[in-house]
Amino acid sequence: MSAPTKTGADPQASASAKTGAGPQASAVAKAAETSSVKGAAGTAPRTFAQKAIERASGSSGLAPGTIVEVEPDLYMSHTASWRCIKTFEKLPGAAIRHPERIAMVMDHISPAPTAQVAGHHRLCREFARAHGVGHFFDVNEGIAHLVLMERGLIKPGEVIIGTDSHSTIYGALGALGTGVGFSEITATWVTGVLWMMVPDSMKVTLEGKLPAGVYPKDIMLRLIGDLTADGATYLSVEFEGGLTAAMSISQRMTLCNLAMELGAKNAFVKPDAVAYEYLTAAGVEDPARHALISDAGASYVRESRIDAARLPPQVACPHTVDNVRPVGEVAGLKLDQVFVGSCANAKYDDLVEVARILKGRRVAAGIRMLVTPGSRDTMKRAADSGVLSTLIEAGAIITNPGCGACAGDGGAMDKGEVTLSTANRNFRGRMGSYESDIYLASPATAAASALTGVITDPREVLQ
Amino acid sequence: MNLVESILARASGRKSVEPGEIVIAEVDRMIMHDLSGYMTARVYDEKVSKPLKHPDRVIMVFDHLFSPPREQEAEVLKSGREWAAKYGIRLLDCGNGNIHNAVARNGFIGPGMVVVGSDSHTPVHGALGAFAVAVGNDCHAGMVFPHGKAWFRVPSTVRIELSGTLRAGTTPRDVALWLVSRIGEDGAVYKALEFGGPFIEALGLFDRWLFPLITVDVGAKCGYIEPDEKVFEFARAANAMQCWSGLEIAPRHERRPEAVLTYDVSSIEPQVACPPTVGNVKPVSEVAGKSVQWAEIGGHGGGRVEDIRMLAQVLGGKSVHPAVRLNVVPSSRAVFKQALDEGLVQVLHAAGALWFPPSTGSNQSVNMGAMAAGEAMISTHSRNFPGRNGSADASMYLGSALTVAASALRGCLTDVREML
Repeated sequence: MSAPTKTGADPQASASAKTGAGPQASAVAKAAETSSVKGAAGTAPRTFAQKAIERASGSSGLAPGTIVEVEPDLYMSHTASWRCIKTFEKLPGAAIRHPERIAMVMDHISPAPTAQVAGHHRLCREFARAHGVGHFFDVNEGIAHLVLMERGLIKPGEVIIGTDSHSTIYGALGALGTGVGFSEITATWVTGVLWMMVPDSMKVTLEGKLPAGVYPKDIMLRLIGDLTADGATYLSVEFEGGLTAAMSISQRMTLCNLAMELGAKNAFVKPDAVAYEYLTAAGVEDPARHALISDAGASYVRESRIDAARLPPQVACPHTVDNVRPVGEVAGLKLDQVFVGSCANAKYDDLVEVARILKGRRVAAGIRMLVTPGSRDTMKRAADSGVLSTLIEAGAIITNPGCGACAGDGGAMDKGEVTLSTANRNFRGRMGSYESDIYLASPATAAASALTGVITDPREVLQ
Repeated sequence: MNLVESILARASGRKSVEPGEIVIAEVDRMIMHDLSGYMTARVYDEKVSKPLKHPDRVIMVFDHLFSPPREQEAEVLKSGREWAAKYGIRLLDCGNGNIHNAVARNGFIGPGMVVVGSDSHTPVHGALGAFAVAVGNDCHAGMVFPHGKAWFRVPSTVRIELSGTLRAGTTPRDVALWLVSRIGEDGAVYKALEFGGPFIEALGLFDRWLFPLITVDVGAKCGYIEPDEKVFEFARAANAMQCWSGLEIAPRHERRPEAVLTYDVSSIEPQVACPPTVGNVKPVSEVAGKSVQWAEIGGHGGGRVEDIRMLAQVLGGKSVHPAVRLNVVPSSRAVFKQALDEGLVQVLHAAGALWFPPSTGSNQSVNMGAMAAGEAMISTHSRNFPGRNGSADASMYLGSALTVAASALRGCLTDVREML
């Protein structure tokens, strides 16, 4: 059994409660050993990750730690697909094994700021046409992860690889999504298979009701702050508990997306009626066909629990995602820019939350507020519902659906400037100058802070 | 005296002026954008050791950049903000629209004013009855900032008299482009262009705007339309009438323009300016079929709500050709809001258009919107020089919003009349 990490009961206590690396490591090793033994016996209860990799590799009885070749159901590559194409072109006589399993999305750096990038986009377009790539999404369609989920390409139980670390997000629909490199994608184009090690699993139980002004982003930041950036290295992170079950798919996406910042191999929420409703609306036929869940009694090398009821809004401070503090500790810090975007928090309901706070108000003088809807569908809904009008009236700058400033596409800062962002990374130099700072928070904290010009607890504005 | 002469006499404290005379005129408005403002501010700070005389007459608009791609561009904006705060000048930050629309819609420009701008299309404000000219950054910094004045040689005037009714599919933008080819790229060097006649009089303010826009393309000093009630109404609402009272303009029959060019617009077909210059204008029908990968409504020749309506008229309920990316760039925040209110954003989004923030859009691809070698764009922009939008081997065609819409639908340069 692993040492459970209890967080959130007392905000102050949880902020300082970091589990020591030593006991953790040994607990992981011990649990891994136990589960290997059981796995080898072939009778032990299995986790979601074991089952998903067994299905995709056509094998059974796989213990964590085992390396197998899997046949991923879908291979996503974003704007950097051009790198994969360049590699592919170096392989003499190579052919694409399953073009129907390839999804390319021009989401990073789009539209092109330079002729060189425009050339990369064109290379991808032409390649997709020439090779019959199954799913090509051009500039303005949105962020790959959101687009693939909205278009019904992500299905429970399937294995999806992507050239983006936040591919863990696909767990929100019960799929095993994981980030890989460009050459892995290229190799999979040609062979249809990719080697993978069966991960151990971690259980995160979320309970309690989210208080006003507190969101899944705050839960994840707190969790990352407590467990640190290597808190779930190569683990399959399963979210459970009453609060998880009560969450929308969009909220679950935020959970699974941010699990990457714990070092997770993949993330998972058990597909339920909420998921099936989403999948059906996205046009997926027979969505439960490959659905998998962990067996009762499956073993977890680490467990963690958060009670949201007493959790205050959280902020990740420069320059790592695990440098997390309750918003009260950084409130009042002066900002230059607020960015609402990224696969973590630029979904429709995120924009609704921002609009709710900005309605009838104006962004503070001296603050640039950038809003980049996560997908074409998000942009459409925001335009239809009046959310976009509210944001424009408040003084926000709306840019086209895509990764936007999260991926270095705009929003660059000069030396000494500070951005509060709803994205998932705040590494030094990620948004312009190496001498600038990025803070991460929920869309509500971002909106409240845009109004005041300083980091602000959204509960003050929502009251 | 005509409008320009009368404004220059008033601004230089004279009873009258004659073409060819050199006057030193009080400048009422100085406008700069993010890129020109950056250079102007540096010249001023480094080489001019005199106080800025009228900070209330100076405005800077961030329009080429709306979301800086790199630290280098972020630095340009940051130093612009700091400079504006230091001298107490007005700043319209990113997202307010392209410079000329933003200043006009924010009540900064009115009839009778002397407006100088470090942007070559500054003469558009002649549509509001201003004497509006483009000047260099150094002139701004060295003369206008410390003295509040600039010298001008009073231009002689060419009147362009337009009459007739447009054919279906032809827009005021087509007429303006057609005029460039008629007058020629060096056909009106240092002249004041007075646009008039029943065709011009019938146009709304933002359609008239397209005529002084061509000033720079034919080498002229300025262009203008005598302000009428439509303009006064706009200027009154914007509280920008302070330079109008007292101006005495001689009746038409007493004025002696250097030349009068008379044209009937009734037979003009939709036009496009082909690479490599704005003067290379041809009927769309002559170049139809040339494939395009990009289409854009925006810039000084588009991005008005009128343009966005035309786009929606052609594209509503249809989809942009799969090989084309269509960008829509509202010219101001107010236009974006109005487009949302009218449902145009929704209709065009559904058709596959990409919405830029209010700005100069992909102009010079300062922020985004570059083309790869071999690609082509049809746009409502005002410049088509090779290399301006990415690769020097990409081509830019300039036309009306209707031509942009029709071409975006077909994937090639298209005469919109085939669809009407």
